[in-house]
Amino acid sequence: MERAIIHLNVADFAVAVERAIDRRLADRPVVIAPQGAARAAVYDMSEEAYRTGVRKGMALARAARLCRDARILPPHPERYERAMRALLQRALPFSPRIEAGENDGHLFIDATGTGRLLGPPMDVAWRLRREIRAHLGLAPIWSVAPNKLVAKVATRLVKPEGEYIIAAGEEQPFLAPLRLELIPGIERDDLTRLREFNLERAHDVAALRLEDLQVPFGSRAMFLYETVRGIDPSPVLAVGEKPPAVAADHAFATDTNDTDALLAALYRLIEQTGGELRRRRRAARRVAVVLDYSDGARSIRQAAARPATANDITLFETARRAFFRAWTRRVRVRRLRLVCDRLVFPPAQLALFGDDRQHAEKRDRLIGAVDAVRHRFGGNALQVGRTLAA
Amino acid sequence: MRHMTDLKPTNRDTAGRILVGTSGYSYAEWAEAGFYPPGTKAGEMLPLYARQFGITELNFTWYQMPKAPAIERMRRLAPPGFRFAAKLTRVLTHEVDPGQWRGQAAQYREGIGPLLQAQQLAALLLQFPPGFTRDAASRRYLAELLDVLGGLPLAVEFRHASWAADRVFAELERRRATLVAVDEPELPGLFPKLDVVTNPDLFYARFHGRNARGWRSGNMQKQFDYDYPDNELHEWADNLIPRMAARAAQGVIFFNNHVRAQAPRNAAQLTRLLTERGLTGSS
Repeated sequence: MERAIIHLNVADFAVAVERAIDRRLADRPVVIAPQGAARAAVYDMSEEAYRTGVRKGMALARAARLCRDARILPPHPERYERAMRALLQRALPFSPRIEAGENDGHLFIDATGTGRLLGPPMDVAWRLRREIRAHLGLAPIWSVAPNKLVAKVATRLVKPEGEYIIAAGEEQPFLAPLRLELIPGIERDDLTRLREFNLERAHDVAALRLEDLQVPFGSRAMFLYETVRGIDPSPVLAVGEKPPAVAADHAFATDTNDTDALLAALYRLIEQTGGELRRRRRAARRVAVVLDYSDGARSIRQAAARPATANDITLFETARRAFFRAWTRRVRVRRLRLVCDRLVFPPAQLALFGDDRQHAEKRDRLIGAVDAVRHRFGGNALQVGRTLAA
Repeated sequence: MRHMTDLKPTNRDTAGRILVGTSGYSYAEWAEAGFYPPGTKAGEMLPLYARQFGITELNFTWYQMPKAPAIERMRRLAPPGFRFAAKLTRVLTHEVDPGQWRGQAAQYREGIGPLLQAQQLAALLLQFPPGFTRDAASRRYLAELLDVLGGLPLAVEFRHASWAADRVFAELERRRATLVAVDEPELPGLFPKLDVVTNPDLFYARFHGRNARGWRSGNMQKQFDYDYPDNELHEWADNLIPRMAARAAQGVIFFNNHVRAQAPRNAAQLTRLLTERGLTGSS
């Protein structure tokens, strides 16, 4: 069945929320960044500031030099969260399937099949924008497209204001002339590889057969093949229906850039998430590390666990890979977050080679024994040496 | 006012010069209502629609600025002789930004370029909202907009009754712009049902349905939920349309009561009545 997905995107969300609260900020460059930190980084900026060269993650001192008349405000995450809830509230009457982003002003609304009740999806999108503008003072860009991928690219194209309607069947011609970095899901590693093959735009990649892509891109080939054709069957997830994941956080009492301290904290997070995975009888196929520096910059990297695992030792090896991909600066780290997702039932298939199998079984027995001791004598009865190093 | 004369059209002259269609053709509910075969995809609708009607009114161009490549791809889905009327984007009629609109008008002209080049653009519809009343600022804006869009086949639809005035009609006539005749509920303040012809090249009529209760509901599914009974279509086929046809070389008529595919059903009924009266070739 053809779907109709509405994407609402409030450009420069943090700035838009601040402007809705304080009208004096309209039409002047605004930069949002934590003040006081030695090397504070830009959290968000207005279009005017963007035009002077200010970018997210840039050192605030540099941003202030580039855009001298910018009004600099500290981030107010609670305001953005409140505004996000208000956005969602406005959209709720229009569909049971609404997926909200992480306080970033993005909302997907599945309007498939609502036409008889509410009218054509483009009319719903337009009315919703009008309502949000009147009641919340925010002016989202909107798009209507047959899937989330195309809807998202569309709102990126009309930033900071506007709308885009892409009819079913128009997905591929719509994407064809676009640069690949505009397409969500195509990541930095993919882009580097694509550039090596002189592939710059969606139509360059769409000209290749799946078999051609498989040689250089291996397991990513199918994803690339479908994405440049505007194929995206992923559903709009209803509120509270986010893909299952297990996550844990650690905020350092004192910001640190000491490797041992960071890895100790990471291992403690692994123990929390690993334990939760085992309780749920699930295994994770992916581990992501989110690293917040003391200047406000954030870095997120992930690594795949093959095969899926819920074993602390194996999970830690995976998390360690992700961690060292994320940790690229000397700036101190304020907060670590670990997310295990792509959950599956623990793989039943045993490793092919005897040595691997024995190794894995040994690890599982060890963690099983640790769990048993902790279950009986409490969580602190046994501690891994690594976590005591800090 | 120059209407309601007793001019009788000579049927031979007008036959085939009146085209009837609907406002928009891409409605998922038209497949459920049986106008399109079940499961028809959006991309297959225009060719199917064009088997039954020779013209459509594009309404997505009201929601978003048309983009030439997409318009061209859509145009190619219809047979060569098929005609389009295109609604002007809302930023030029409903949400006008005084500092931007001239540029946006130029953008619009470029966007519908493929229809112009292929000579398939029958008219450009400028539909103004009920809040667009006849005051000095609105009159000035309208005059400037008509100037900026000069050279295009313009048709102006008013929702507010204050525009039903001889001076307005005379000015449209001077500019060879079409006044759109409307069929809509008889509610206070709404533009009345008139058969005034201001452009000898083209008359233009729009049937919105007469759902008085749903009209101001803010929900299109209620506003345009109406099925025209025979007698109301007869009133047009016997009186108003023949009179307009006598004064204009061509005519286009659209049904906007899209809910549950009532629009294509009523459009087919009216076509039949006009064909019986020799006013249009059967389509």
